[in-house]
Amino acid sequence: MTSNFQHHVGVAVNRAGVIGRRDFVRGLSLASAAAGSLAWTDLLSLHAAELRRRQMSCILLWMQGGPSQFETFDPKPGHESGGETKAISTAIPGVQFADNLPHLAKAADRLAIVRSMSTKEGNHQRASYLLHTSYVPLASLRHPSVGSVIAQQLASAACELPSFVRIGNGFANTSNGGFLGSEFDAFAVQSAGQLPENAQPSGSAERFQQRLALLSRMEQTAIANPGAQQDHAKLYAHAARMIQSSQMQAFDLSREPDKVREAYGKTSFGNACLLARRLVESGVTCVEAALPGWDTHFDNFTKTRSLCSQLDQPFAYLLKDLDERGMLDRTLVVWMGEFGRSPRINPRAGRDHFPRAFSVALAGGGIRGGRVLGGTDRGGEEVAGPAVSEKDLFQTIYKSLGIDAAKEMMSPIGRPIKFVDGGRPVAELFS
Amino acid sequence: MTTPKVFAWLLATAGWLWSGVALAGATAEPAASQASADRSAVAEKVDSLLAQELYLKNPKSALAPLVSDEVFLRRAALDVIGIRPSQAQMALFLLDPSADRRQKLVDRLLADPRFGRNWGRYWRDVVMYRRVEDRALISAAALTTFLTDALNDGQGWDQIAETMIEAKGNVMESGPTGLIMAQTANADDVAAEVSRIFLGIQIQCAQCHDHPTDRWKREQFHQFAAFFPRMQLRPIQYQGMMRGFEVASVQFEPRFRGPMPGRGSLEHYMPDLKNPSAKGQLMTPVFFATGRKLPTGSSDDERRTSIAEWITAREDGWFAKAFVNRVWAELVGEGFYEPVDDMGPGKACSAPATLAYLAEQFAARSYDVKWLYRTIMATKLYARESRPRRTANEMPFAANCAQRLRGDQLFDMLTLSLGVEVPGYFGGGPYAAISSPRAQFNTVFGYDPSQRRDEVSGSISQVLSMMNSRLVSRGLDGHSTDTTLGRLLVQFKDDDTLIAELFSRCLARDPNGQELTVCREHVKHAGSRAEGFEDVLWGLVNRTEFIYRN
Repeated sequence: MTSNFQHHVGVAVNRAGVIGRRDFVRGLSLASAAAGSLAWTDLLSLHAAELRRRQMSCILLWMQGGPSQFETFDPKPGHESGGETKAISTAIPGVQFADNLPHLAKAADRLAIVRSMSTKEGNHQRASYLLHTSYVPLASLRHPSVGSVIAQQLASAACELPSFVRIGNGFANTSNGGFLGSEFDAFAVQSAGQLPENAQPSGSAERFQQRLALLSRMEQTAIANPGAQQDHAKLYAHAARMIQSSQMQAFDLSREPDKVREAYGKTSFGNACLLARRLVESGVTCVEAALPGWDTHFDNFTKTRSLCSQLDQPFAYLLKDLDERGMLDRTLVVWMGEFGRSPRINPRAGRDHFPRAFSVALAGGGIRGGRVLGGTDRGGEEVAGPAVSEKDLFQTIYKSLGIDAAKEMMSPIGRPIKFVDGGRPVAELFS
Repeated sequence: MTTPKVFAWLLATAGWLWSGVALAGATAEPAASQASADRSAVAEKVDSLLAQELYLKNPKSALAPLVSDEVFLRRAALDVIGIRPSQAQMALFLLDPSADRRQKLVDRLLADPRFGRNWGRYWRDVVMYRRVEDRALISAAALTTFLTDALNDGQGWDQIAETMIEAKGNVMESGPTGLIMAQTANADDVAAEVSRIFLGIQIQCAQCHDHPTDRWKREQFHQFAAFFPRMQLRPIQYQGMMRGFEVASVQFEPRFRGPMPGRGSLEHYMPDLKNPSAKGQLMTPVFFATGRKLPTGSSDDERRTSIAEWITAREDGWFAKAFVNRVWAELVGEGFYEPVDDMGPGKACSAPATLAYLAEQFAARSYDVKWLYRTIMATKLYARESRPRRTANEMPFAANCAQRLRGDQLFDMLTLSLGVEVPGYFGGGPYAAISSPRAQFNTVFGYDPSQRRDEVSGSISQVLSMMNSRLVSRGLDGHSTDTTLGRLLVQFKDDDTLIAELFSRCLARDPNGQELTVCREHVKHAGSRAEGFEDVLWGLVNRTEFIYRN
């Protein structure tokens, strides 16, 4: 829910110590009613307000299954680990990508490739959780995903669409608000190109209005639970505003010129990238678009070639499009999966899970493009030089978006939890 | 019952229904009256302890008045069987003149098999919302069945807990393995969950470092985890494919001891924080609450049977308190400790003597789950009107507290109120239960029941679902003779009677005068009578009251 309400909740979580969020909101409305103003909360959230003005947003391209670095951004031609994949030169002098990515090779001046990612989680779900939250899964606590944190910190009250949208099916519990609450869960859109589920009233617009009016009159006739009824009314108002909003046109890809649609490629992932751009343009704070299928234990080379052909053109055009529209500086694009693939090619021509050394790609949001950070040894077995951990990566993401990663959220059991606990931003990416 | 209009049609049928029940009740009279005296005595003591601990010390805090029978009925039915009362149940109860009709109602509800189903789903959610992997969901259906049956059969909570701690076998068939499956049989995670769920103690906070404000030390956590290293999640065939798992014991040290959870190991080692790749320090199994211990080298069976027995033993009391605290929080809207699973010495308890007394009485009755419901529901506090969640400086337990319905409850309420039928499953395979309409609904509306209830928030997707989903719009077609609404439109020619009927179906109460006017006016100005009532029904299921238990 993006509204002033959310903005206050954000403040409460950061400032209010162990008291619950709702307690704080209620305390706040009483206090502000008494004082006749909300000035002090404005002071508390000055920083956030300034960021909202800058309208930073984030697009996360999630490569579900764990994309092979050897077949994308860290090829090893001529080495046993490299397999049959060839390398091509890119817009960055002396840097090669796999030949699966011709468009991205040309667009490399907008990309920063981190080839020295390294984590310790080699299990899909645990690693997906790790790369969505910067925390390992714990039985006792559900951490909010990066998109939820970004939405909570940066969402603009002017936007009538949900602040965090997920396109395509993913593991539901990797993109939710965790202990921040379900209002920060990703709003899920099954597939790009059609309206989100249940966004169309079953009758006419007029009938829908009549129903809303009837509902609101009914609600006023019996007030048993004022707090809940107030929240309920706000949520309904927000949902109704959303589905009747002209901003819903953002979901309608047919409004794009055919030339643009062709440039993104009229594929499922191409549509998702185009939708991500349209949503960010309409004020959505974070969009996660998934490209599944990267778990290439069998037949790695054929499969990654096909996956890269789905990825290459839309990703490259997304960067170009954002840049030409002047949005790239305030939109961070993150390309990653839960881990990389093994240097060893197994007997079924597949590659297995490999969290020890893999690649992620970043662009926009103040990240300097056209460079490669870190690298791996000749066979891609180890990171050569300092490794970038998931914590370092999240520090980098939050720094790019202007979010203070050291800020603490209050967990339900009264323990403060930092957005990221440790690590540091990769300074070289910003200079 | 202030407006008997809606129930007028029921009067005729209620007479014989009522005589049947009275007759059936008569044979079990002596035992029932003993149980009833016991329940009343304990419930009165609970109310008087609350008075001593809280009410007398805060004379300025007014207690909420007691609720009407109508509110009590909806509340009790939602709490026990997870759904509003049927119209026959409403008539039975509201027309019952006897003084102990509320107790008899609670007894009838607890005898209903939907009691076990409702609370089986609650405990499934307690376990599954903290799963570390989604594939744990393949055990969710079996877990629910196990819990449902155990609760309906009247198994003691100690017996249920022991079965879950000692569980082995195919996770899709042996329901008690659900807890271990949810934590992929990883010793640290299973230890954390066993402590959180059965003792209400979050000892895993000490997993990584000693914390100055915590009573438990890091070593104590790892000594506790040392009861669980020999479990293993072993892949097995299911329907001819390698996609099932079983919980098994490890007999030999595995060849690789990597960071992969759930692989099993003969002993538990506390990691060396300065040198994470080292093997760490060998841990002897010790139960932190009582100090009971086992030697290293003990088998998986010895370890799990011992810890199960020691946890459920009456000596330290946390086991009984943890269960009482949860059920209490669900029934009166606020726990003695909050969140409900963060108890333990050093944590704030809002009425310690009351909790201690109730927990002792519960333990003394062999952890009889239904007894606890009966007793709490016989207190004055349970029968008080709901107020919004109190603020931090208001006195606790002055009123009951409204609670948002859990996903399953809301799904049942919606399908019952609209009169739509929904298939249980689509297709087969291990994930069939996960893709069922109910499960899909739960992914949108469900929440972790261990969360403080006032921190559970609604979402845009929920609202869109209630406003526009096919599930709802299917039941709203007033022109069809296949829908319940279509049939009701034919059956009830009088608008006021039909309005009252819809209120009773959705909210289990009569409309008040204003509500009647608002709905009547709307129907009058609508395109047609059918459309008008479609809107009224839409409005009713979209009201706040519909998604809350007051």
